[in-house]
Amino acid sequence: MATRTDPKKDVVILGLGWTGAILGMELANEGLEILALERGEDRDTVPDFQYPGVIDELKYGIRYGFMQKPSKMTLTVRHNLDQTALPYRHLGSFLPGDGVGGAGIHWNGHTWRTQDVELRLKSYVEETFGADIIPEGMQIQDWGVTQEELEPYYDRLEYMMGISGKAGNINGEIQEGGNPFESPRSREYPNPPLDNTYDAELFADAARKMGYHPFPRPAANASRAYTNEYGMQLGPCNYCGFCERFGCLNYSKASPQTCILDALKRKPNFSYKTHSEVLKIEKAADGKTATGVTYYDEKTGDEVFQPADLVLVCTFALNNVHLLLLSGIGQPYDPVTGEGVVGRNYSYQMTGGTALYFKDKNFNPFIGTGSVGMSIDDFSIGQIDFAKEGFIGGSYITGGHTGGRPIGQMSTPPGTPSWGKGWKEAAGEWYLKKMSIGSHGSNMSYRDCYLDLDPTYTDRHGRPLMRMTFNWKDNDIKMTQFMKGKIEEIAETMSPDKMASGYKKEGSEYDVRPYQSTHNVGGAIMGTDPKTSVINRYLQSWDCHNVFVMGASAYPQNTQYNPTGPLGALAYWAADAIRKDYLKDPRPLM
Amino acid sequence: MTDLPGRVSRRGFLMGSAASAAFATLMNPSFSHAQVELPPLEEYKPVFFDADEWRFIMAACDRLIPAEGEGPGALETRVPVFIDLQMTGSFGDASDWYMAGPHQPDASPLFGWQSPLTPAQIYRKAIPLFQEWCQTTHGKAFEALDAETRDSALTALQKGEVGLAPELRDFFSILLQNTKEGYFADPMYGGNYQLKAWTFIGFPGARGAYTEWVTRHNQTYPLPAVSISGERA
Amino acid sequence: MKSYLRILGALVCLGIIVLLAIIFVPPQLTKPSEQLAADWKPAPGQGEYAMRMADCAACHTAEGGKPFAGGRAIESPMGTIWATNITPDKETGIGNWSLDEFRAALVDGIAPGGEHLYPAMPYENYRNLSETDIRAMYDYFMNEVPAVNNAVEETALSFPFNQRWGIRLWNWVALGSSGFKPETDAIAKDRQLARGAYLVQGPGHCASCHSPRNLIMAEGGTSSQDDGFLSSGVIGGWAAPDLRGANAPAQTWSAADLKAYLTTGRNAHTAVAGEMALAVKDSLQYMTDEDADAMVAYLHHIAKGERLAAPSIPDQSLSAPRQLDQATDATSLKLAKGVGLSEGELLYMDNCAACHLTNGKGAAEVFPAMSDNSLVVADEKAGLIETILYGAEMPSTAKRPEKLKMPGFAERLSDKDVAALASFLRQGWGNTAGAVTEADVKAVRK
Repeated sequence: MATRTDPKKDVVILGLGWTGAILGMELANEGLEILALERGEDRDTVPDFQYPGVIDELKYGIRYGFMQKPSKMTLTVRHNLDQTALPYRHLGSFLPGDGVGGAGIHWNGHTWRTQDVELRLKSYVEETFGADIIPEGMQIQDWGVTQEELEPYYDRLEYMMGISGKAGNINGEIQEGGNPFESPRSREYPNPPLDNTYDAELFADAARKMGYHPFPRPAANASRAYTNEYGMQLGPCNYCGFCERFGCLNYSKASPQTCILDALKRKPNFSYKTHSEVLKIEKAADGKTATGVTYYDEKTGDEVFQPADLVLVCTFALNNVHLLLLSGIGQPYDPVTGEGVVGRNYSYQMTGGTALYFKDKNFNPFIGTGSVGMSIDDFSIGQIDFAKEGFIGGSYITGGHTGGRPIGQMSTPPGTPSWGKGWKEAAGEWYLKKMSIGSHGSNMSYRDCYLDLDPTYTDRHGRPLMRMTFNWKDNDIKMTQFMKGKIEEIAETMSPDKMASGYKKEGSEYDVRPYQSTHNVGGAIMGTDPKTSVINRYLQSWDCHNVFVMGASAYPQNTQYNPTGPLGALAYWAADAIRKDYLKDPRPLM
Repeated sequence: MTDLPGRVSRRGFLMGSAASAAFATLMNPSFSHAQVELPPLEEYKPVFFDADEWRFIMAACDRLIPAEGEGPGALETRVPVFIDLQMTGSFGDASDWYMAGPHQPDASPLFGWQSPLTPAQIYRKAIPLFQEWCQTTHGKAFEALDAETRDSALTALQKGEVGLAPELRDFFSILLQNTKEGYFADPMYGGNYQLKAWTFIGFPGARGAYTEWVTRHNQTYPLPAVSISGERA
Repeated sequence: MKSYLRILGALVCLGIIVLLAIIFVPPQLTKPSEQLAADWKPAPGQGEYAMRMADCAACHTAEGGKPFAGGRAIESPMGTIWATNITPDKETGIGNWSLDEFRAALVDGIAPGGEHLYPAMPYENYRNLSETDIRAMYDYFMNEVPAVNNAVEETALSFPFNQRWGIRLWNWVALGSSGFKPETDAIAKDRQLARGAYLVQGPGHCASCHSPRNLIMAEGGTSSQDDGFLSSGVIGGWAAPDLRGANAPAQTWSAADLKAYLTTGRNAHTAVAGEMALAVKDSLQYMTDEDADAMVAYLHHIAKGERLAAPSIPDQSLSAPRQLDQATDATSLKLAKGVGLSEGELLYMDNCAACHLTNGKGAAEVFPAMSDNSLVVADEKAGLIETILYGAEMPSTAKRPEKLKMPGFAERLSDKDVAALASFLRQGWGNTAGAVTEADVKAVRK
């Protein structure tokens, strides 16, 4: 029970990361009274990311100083319906952020657009290859929004974030040096590409020789000083090598802090509270709208009811789904009957990579940034003949590196012992001489990969933890093995002295220990049918029309790309629907 | 002039951590950028480990990253000090982890840490059990064994052949992980003495400024490693 | 002999009479410079705008305090002066002040009852305020500012500065005539220049920091007819740089750069720091485009000598090259090579190069350049030292809301380090300023 009720707001935003900040800005400009609730602490470049304190691999890279603390919030994991799920007790496989800025402070900045075929994947597969190639249990869907519809919002996002890159297709015209397989964009990137590191250059040369089409990976690491539409500024990236898992010391990485928040904080009708964890979205008696949220005010120990006309759920994808389950908004998904929607179609990211070791080369691996690298999209979803290859999916392949942090990014050639003289000498010999080529691939959605509430484990407030049921499936393993073949072919032309590959293979099961990806998507998916989606194409809850759910929880299956691009574009898309349509006449938009 | 905007508080770049008091003594109080000189490792008084445990930690680190061959060993870089200090902080007591029960320590390793014990508790319980195994198997305490036998004992530990209970099974992996962390972490945490491990592999430390070096491919970076406190190799 | 004593006695008597007159005869108050109708009312927002231009908040609002409720300590060479409460509170503020009393405080430095204000109140400049601005501000303070009951600490300077009658003497010597008159025909004839001159000399009170103080601590120049006007001053140990010399950044910058500096606190070369950051935060960022252009035009008009053609803000259009241009000067080349560096150069690489880069140019509007940076090369070294030790922050402004901050390095650098580093900065990339000593740093470190 709430121990305090605060004055009503027009809008309450749950979570002040990328989507919360975007929605906050867009709706503050409409004059609405907005309160953002953030469960974590406040953060800013200085002092939280300032040089040199943030260049502390142990504190932030290994002990996860900027991440969600499982002691406060985690979930349980199992591989299938027959297992008992166990808590994800310390972070490993994925790293949700917390605090102001959310994961937007510690991401690498890979900022992709989806391919048009990815947004209508089910229709594309059925039209092109026939419905019968979709394996039993795979549950792919269309998103309900098209690439043409999203293009202006991608564009807005990229210019807000100051993305460095090279266009490959401007209004249908293929651009030299860009990604020829991307869907048409309306104009060039706002900033030129980053400078290439040695490994990226070598990879690009090798790929080009094989007839592939390398292009600079689109980066939210500014290649030069930049000012965005809000007057917010980025400084040129200096390739410090401490990007992923770290806040940017140099104002170079696009984040809510560098791109939105100081502008948003000037708005008198916007305010935010930290250390305020939302416990539940409260529903009206008729269940058709939400009345506000109840949150735990960590500073006072109060449970506070915050009434609001509009509830914007902008937390990390997994936490969005958890909140909906706890609040009873939308029917929970049942994998046995296939009925219900909340928790349906959780999916992840299939990644793999090949390491190359050269005796006579020096890559200076400590010189790097989150997104620097050259990629090829020759094996993307739109390029692969699924019927021929026997899987649905695709991947982009990159040569490049984020940094050379010695604890976490040390890599020794195959056959090196894990400790002792052999390990030490190999570390000394190969640290500067290794590069890698990575595959970043799609992961399809399946009937038995989903999220629900755990029957046993609870959080510090006594609420059930969420339970993840997930395992790797043959389709996606075939995809990554296909990429392994392509990457090793390229790698061999580069004549490394030693080589080692790491890809999921037949029988690989999901392992929560090694870091793989924080691209946890789905569970509150978007669509055009309330029977198979939680939110409509405007990210509006089918059940409570004044609840909108942002973020990658909306993806019906994962794309082959990093999720921030589409989730940012969808936030602007939803903001437009709210501003131009919903506010005039609050109602279900579909 | 005290109220200018941007007067950043002295909360400073070493934001507090549990063992910050202990760390403070490792910092570089005179602002010297020359290498810090500390009393010999043998004179270090552990804050967590007792004398028996400490002898094991020293002897184990000495084999995990030995002095022989190219590059400094774990003792020369004071890795045991790092491990000792980690035990008293949020890593040792797992304060950031979800530690509520029920626990299933014999679950598949794919599900990660499922022991009810914290890392510090695992060190405390596992060291004497492993010492017992060394006594039984080799007739001596671990630290009294010759290098080759110590290596084979550690290999047995790594392979899970010394009969530790499931809740202790991660002992070797955290010991090895902590040893490598201490070797390569910033010297303010107690290891990587005089930035020797960074210098050995060619990592320049807390520089974060490589604008003109990105495009200088295949060249040797010239500047020495620097630590967060400003100590230079 | 007797007559000599008589003359002396007469002089003493005269002196006593004069002194008594100074102390007890009420001073003549300046009349309105223009007669406005009794029922004249400012347009909406006019009073607040006039207040912004005069930057009353800078002194009269304490850090974290209620607007205009006073209590901010103003350090002066004579001791601490406490800014007063200027909200319309009748007991502790100015709620009982008449318009004439309000005007007297602004232009004559005289409070109701005849008490002289310390010239920390820049009435030397506010003497130039137009009657419409005075009326508009009066209306604003009486009707729009919420009254706050807040008794601030009495200013208590030591003898002789506590003898406020002395200020009257000072006023006689120091004050020019009241009311604004453009100093030349050329300025008077050009509406934009005249407006700029008014803003600079009147409400903007730029001279209070940027003109040197003369022997009696009066401003060494209040208009461009005076050579000392805006030729550099000192505030709190920091340099308030020369604005008129041919090589002064304010003159070598383009109009767009100077305007950006004044209204956003940053430009292609540098960023505001110290007291100027407060001036931008509380006052200058609120200038209309027209007023900002006028101020810039006037400042460029009063340059000493010919202004050189200036580079403008780098083009950010898509065809523009990367801003990291190839530096060819000796300092840049040596730092970029990274071999054989001196201690100062090595400290720069260890602490500064991440943002300010080896070419010392930083990045437009984000990281200030080191070469020709007035803070770096100033004769007064305190500003540079304080910035290295404790950092700096750009104010949030409407067009550039981001509070870009430089962290302080007090914990990482000793006095000796700061001296070596600062000396390098003052002599690298073609800078030619003198070295900084350990003692200089020690004096600034808190």
